[in-house]
Amino acid sequence: MATPAPRTASGEGTLPLEPGLAGPEAGAAIQQSNLWKDAWYRYVRNRAAVVAGAVFLLMLAYCIFWPLISPYDPNEVDFSQARQNPSLEHPLGTDSFGRDLLTRTALGGRISIGIGFAATLVILAIGVAYGATSGFIGGKLDNAMMRVLDALYGLPYLPFAIITLAVIGDAGFWSLVIALSIASWLTTARIVRGQTITLKENDYVRAAKVVGARWQRVLVRHLLPNMLGILVIAVFLELPGVILGEAFLSFIGLGIGPPDASWGSMAQEGYRVYRVFPLLIVIPSVAIATLILCANFIADGLRDALDPRTRET
Amino acid sequence: MTALVVRRLIWTIPVILLVIFLTFVLMRQIEGNPFRTSERAIPESIQRNLEEKYGLDRPWYVQYAKYVRGVFTGDLGPSLVLRNRDVNDIVREHFPVSLQLGGLAMLFALVVGIPLGMLSALRANTWFDYGAMFVSSVGFAIPSFLVATLLIYYFALQWGEYFPFPTSGWEGWESKVLPSIALGLGPMAYFARLTRGSMLETLQQDYIRTARAKGLRWRRVVVVHTLRNSLIPVVTAAGPILGFLITGSFIIEQIFAIPGIGRYYVTAVTGRDYSVVMGLTVLLALIVIVANLVVDILYGFLDPRTRDARA
Amino acid sequence: MTWTRSKGRVGLLVLAMLTLVLSLAACGGGDDDGGDEGAADGVITINWGAEPPSLDPGLATDTTSSNVILNIMDPLVKLEGEELTPTPSLAESWDVEGATVTFHLRDDGQWTNGDPVTAEDFEWSWKRTISPELAADYAYQFFGIKGAAEYNGCEENCDALRDQVAVEAVDDLTLRVELTSDQPWFIQQAAHHSFLAVHRPTVEQFGEKWTEAGNIVTNGPFQLARWEHNANLDLVKWADWRNADDVALERINGRMITEGTTAVQAFEAGEVDEVGALGGLPPEELPRLKGLPEYEQTPSLGTYYYGINTENIPDVNQRRAMSLAIDRRTIIDNIAQADQLPATGFTPSGMPGYDTITPSSEWLPESGDIERAKELMEQVQNPVTDVTLVINDAPGHRDIAVAVQSMWAELGIETEIQQQEWAQFLESLGPPPARSTDAYRLGWIGDFVDAINFLELWTCDSGNNNTNWCNEEYDSLVEQARGTADEGERFDLYSQLEEVMFGPDGEVPIMPIYFYTNVSLQRESIKETYNQNLLDQIDLSEVVEE
Repeated sequence: MATPAPRTASGEGTLPLEPGLAGPEAGAAIQQSNLWKDAWYRYVRNRAAVVAGAVFLLMLAYCIFWPLISPYDPNEVDFSQARQNPSLEHPLGTDSFGRDLLTRTALGGRISIGIGFAATLVILAIGVAYGATSGFIGGKLDNAMMRVLDALYGLPYLPFAIITLAVIGDAGFWSLVIALSIASWLTTARIVRGQTITLKENDYVRAAKVVGARWQRVLVRHLLPNMLGILVIAVFLELPGVILGEAFLSFIGLGIGPPDASWGSMAQEGYRVYRVFPLLIVIPSVAIATLILCANFIADGLRDALDPRTRET
Repeated sequence: MTALVVRRLIWTIPVILLVIFLTFVLMRQIEGNPFRTSERAIPESIQRNLEEKYGLDRPWYVQYAKYVRGVFTGDLGPSLVLRNRDVNDIVREHFPVSLQLGGLAMLFALVVGIPLGMLSALRANTWFDYGAMFVSSVGFAIPSFLVATLLIYYFALQWGEYFPFPTSGWEGWESKVLPSIALGLGPMAYFARLTRGSMLETLQQDYIRTARAKGLRWRRVVVVHTLRNSLIPVVTAAGPILGFLITGSFIIEQIFAIPGIGRYYVTAVTGRDYSVVMGLTVLLALIVIVANLVVDILYGFLDPRTRDARA
Repeated sequence: MTWTRSKGRVGLLVLAMLTLVLSLAACGGGDDDGGDEGAADGVITINWGAEPPSLDPGLATDTTSSNVILNIMDPLVKLEGEELTPTPSLAESWDVEGATVTFHLRDDGQWTNGDPVTAEDFEWSWKRTISPELAADYAYQFFGIKGAAEYNGCEENCDALRDQVAVEAVDDLTLRVELTSDQPWFIQQAAHHSFLAVHRPTVEQFGEKWTEAGNIVTNGPFQLARWEHNANLDLVKWADWRNADDVALERINGRMITEGTTAVQAFEAGEVDEVGALGGLPPEELPRLKGLPEYEQTPSLGTYYYGINTENIPDVNQRRAMSLAIDRRTIIDNIAQADQLPATGFTPSGMPGYDTITPSSEWLPESGDIERAKELMEQVQNPVTDVTLVINDAPGHRDIAVAVQSMWAELGIETEIQQQEWAQFLESLGPPPARSTDAYRLGWIGDFVDAINFLELWTCDSGNNNTNWCNEEYDSLVEQARGTADEGERFDLYSQLEEVMFGPDGEVPIMPIYFYTNVSLQRESIKETYNQNLLDQIDLSEVVEE
């Protein structure tokens, strides 16, 4: 068994990935296919993760496809239909303007999930670039980069998101993405750095260095693929935070403007009428909660699948 | 160990400078007039007077220098919008409230979350485990504004006769219960899952099996060996979470009408009250830094391996 | 083994953490005991709706501050009755001769520390508000006084200019003011909170902190008992006020709940006796609340309107069409929901002379006239079909914008709603408005009870004219009105002004939508006497608990 790696200060635990179980070759390609197949089998055995994965995909499908086939115009104002309870015509009811909620929730999902994924990808991009470089090169540069990182840790996340939004001006899709990712890539960077340092010491990496491979090649061909596991998990770990962040910002009014809506801005609308029509705040909140739950279970499932040592008895 | 602490403390200074600089630059980038609070336009002459009074007509580096000097002498300047108050006053009156709210929420999260996680780990894969984890997952996933709304609606309004909780405010212990729960529910769930996962992992370790094989009583094994080690990740996470609780509580403060820093922050940014924004950002940054520092120290204390790795 | 070395440490550590957290929880946020809660024995609890930015009469600009100040201070003149006629308060009488106004003060005015209130107090206070050092937002209210504008704008030699401001305390009880012209509304204006006197020794002693509860010295029916910022502001009856016997309330506990939903909940839980008078009620809850006996609704002097950047939409027919397309009734019934009155002109209902002044404009139909709008639209040469509507991000405005967006869509206009935060929104208003702004939302609330306060907004160089609209005839009519003392003649002029904007040949640079109302929930025991006038003021000295 591989020696346990030191835990990083802010992660929940690292995933030391052991060299391939089959075969003496330490080449990256063969390792990968074995790893992923193994992981897939292990993932599928975890019922919760499978259910979560299915629900997640279902939600994605709903948000992407439903507005395309819905008979309702999500922006059509018709006060005579306002605040209807769920019925056959409107399975989720209507909002204060008489707009069909099933359609608007799907559209809101597009924006909320869209922002979630976009911001997460940005976070990953920055985090990986920063962490991998720092960990791989090591030495003084690593030290300096970590010091800067520590400095940036001092930036309070939500307040800076607010300021950033105000600076950018109009609160649109991409402004929210930037604002939400600007202060949250730090943890990812640290984890990636930790992982890079661990992997650096692995035999096959040392072997590659001995053979004389350039560091870029080592980085790209050996380290990054092995980190793919962590990165995928990181996506599903960061996603909830970003989505909640967007919901919070929209709730205090700094989010998407009309007539577009995100789940957060729908929740804000709903909050003001909850005494008369509680459905309006419950629906987007449940949507957000479901997404977060799924993301969590998927992340758990992936982690278990990719690290055989944390099986549950 | 002391070297680490001293080094980190020294590093706090450039960090604060960076925070001030970033905030300063960002605030200047936003267009907006702090003196115009209503739709009525301000006559030119009055605008000029105001800018002169608050030094806003000086070049930016003069303002920046003056401000930095102020931070290090403890004078954070006057508020531009609340004309009779200083940033120092605002901090002095409202920061303790946020601190208390964050502290109570954290207390709730730890006191409920850790035992829950522990018990779930000890009864892994039973109904208790599934139930507890489900409840805590739900608590983690539901946005706090819905939690707050539900808590107020049921415990303060509908069943108000049976419970002493008011619907809003921050006076007397009764008013502090619901907001703390609303704010602390997410972290509680997080700690529960964290404790459970970590404990499960520890329970599989060889030395635990050794202890059991040796015939030690199960409870002693749990408490003495397992619990302490399982709490390490919880401790790690606690710092940033505490920082987050204090700096990100503005929605709870808004809904419960709590006079904390969070509400002020949002109001100040939207009102372009530069000095308040900068003062509060610096303060919040300090909190986050201190929280992280404390955790890192405790962590280095705890786990000698990381001490070496980080040296 | 490494683990055993940390045997005691984790335990210690957890203990340390819990202690830290407990101490955080225990310290801070003191539990002060405020006054008793609940309506009982002359003690009521109300909602101020927001933290007053300042209780200094020279610096306060908003309704909340104004309301608190007017209840703790004694103005020269008070506005009473439905018509809001100026009645003597601290000034027992006044003479108006042309452009000179003389106030005669009562001799029993007193400060809470025993000092008598004199005319010097007023002279000093008014000059202080006008002074450039104080940089008061409302200094412009005094610009009708000779020498005030010059003093306020002075760059050098300010002391000399200060002496030339024509406010003089002739003796202890006589205050003489010389105006730049005959201003028939000046007495009314003097009821505004900026015209209150402040206690000079207190201000000089405490500087900017003079308004804190422990420092402040006042002269009105109530005193500031407690002010916990952003949380509570309590008033207590001042037994030595000149009319203390007529004041029924002993104490008013004030909360500061900004979130409308939270405020309504507090009322329904019995924690507050009044909500909404300052700060309003969430429109979405109004249908439910209207049925309650505690619901109260009064008119307010204010107009909600959409302004147009006339440089971007120059064709008057398009503007008329856009105005015709707006179904005001639908907006009022479904969004605003407070029984507001659909606007028929810019001057709101309740203004003296309203019946003469209002143009009952054909361009402002109550339920919109989409057919006629479409007809007019077709006559437009180069119609602007891409309109950017700028609003600030408060929920009510958003909803109205969405409704208007769909109404304009029927004219073939695609409206982009640009929601901006408050400060940014104000910046893009200018004047002049940002080039990208085609339309924007605004409201105007009256400072005093004369239509000039509304109509003078649209002169060419008015700081509040965000439309790029400039009409010489309009300006000259305003000038004329400013110099006309006779009410009847003035009302006539006002009606002509409205005609320029909204008559059959009206240019329609703005589209008024409705006139404001005040809505609130009041406990039945105080409902009778808890009255809010047209200027949103509540006179707490008149409130009686049944």
